[in-house]
Amino acid sequence: MHSLFTRINNVSALLSSCVMSLVIAITLASLLQEAIFPPQVDGQISMRATMVYQAKAYRQKRKQEMGFLNFNMTADLSPLFTWNTKQLFVSLEAEYENIKGVNNTIVLWDRIVRRPEDAKVNVVGARNKYAFKEVGGKGFGKGVAGNASYALKYNLMPYMGVLRYGEVTRLSNVPFEVREEL
Amino acid sequence: MFTEELKTFRRLGFRHVLLQVLNFASVIASGLMIWKGLGLVTNTESPIVVVLSGSMEPAFYRGDLLFLTNPPHERYHTGDITVYRIPGADIPIVHRVMETHDVSSPIKISGLALKQPGEQLLLTKGDNNHIDDIDLYQGLDWLERKHIVGKVRGFLPYVGYVTIAMNDFPQLKYALLGVLGLLALIQRE
Repeated sequence: MHSLFTRINNVSALLSSCVMSLVIAITLASLLQEAIFPPQVDGQISMRATMVYQAKAYRQKRKQEMGFLNFNMTADLSPLFTWNTKQLFVSLEAEYENIKGVNNTIVLWDRIVRRPEDAKVNVVGARNKYAFKEVGGKGFGKGVAGNASYALKYNLMPYMGVLRYGEVTRLSNVPFEVREEL
Repeated sequence: MFTEELKTFRRLGFRHVLLQVLNFASVIASGLMIWKGLGLVTNTESPIVVVLSGSMEPAFYRGDLLFLTNPPHERYHTGDITVYRIPGADIPIVHRVMETHDVSSPIKISGLALKQPGEQLLLTKGDNNHIDDIDLYQGLDWLERKHIVGKVRGFLPYVGYVTIAMNDFPQLKYALLGVLGLLALIQRE
């Protein structure tokens, strides 16, 4: 039968299977390209110490120990921009273990990069965008290692396909400096 | 108007109608089976979700389709984009993990039950929001694994707009279902 309905049915079935195979091909090609030519990114973080003061956090009534950063950071993330890169989520994360045996990872600074022209990160004297505080309220600097490491990481979002994660660079053994007054 | 259709209906008889109903039911059943099977493999209650709000722009826009997995033994990392549902809230939320706190020895944290090793406290934030999600947690201070529906693994733009359209205009949904059902009954092959 060649009624209008069967024609519409056939055309839409063909169209949807074409689109499906195109989507799969794009996803696989993108992954394959990354496997064959792994993007080379590098960067550097520098900071002296994490300063800890008694301060009031947003929504909090009482003062508590809060960490304050002052860091410089350079990185070149332009190799991550390929034909299937929609955006990068770039974040600076603190990693440390506290005295109660809790492993903490906290995003303290982030940036969304949408164009390869903006993929060169160069921040000087930057501060943390988000509050750096302990789960229990205090205990900074009394941790097992007594220091934190800072890592610059990215999350690559494609126009279509699988999300990827990676680490650009890392600065280890940054001590906490606890001060009583601001 | 429908005399032609009615005529074929009479000609084909009752058994044919029953067969078509059976066909229709098997299509629906296999769809449900694929959905639930995918849920088993990925360990989430809904392996595919549609983005409903703009709080993750420019990463995800309304109508984007997200593919989730939730492996039981994999911890959540900062930077992961998770879908979570707070008890009492009806809509699941797609936001990024900003803080993880992994417990390695039993610890009492104020406002929470005793936390055992392996448990994780999470804090999330939408890329397009200025502050973290504590105000969305309905009184909770932290997210935990039991609130997480899944982690976003893959992404397909625009496709989910069909469901958004159906949610915004319910008549469309019923019209579509009605037309499909009618066609399944009348179709001759």
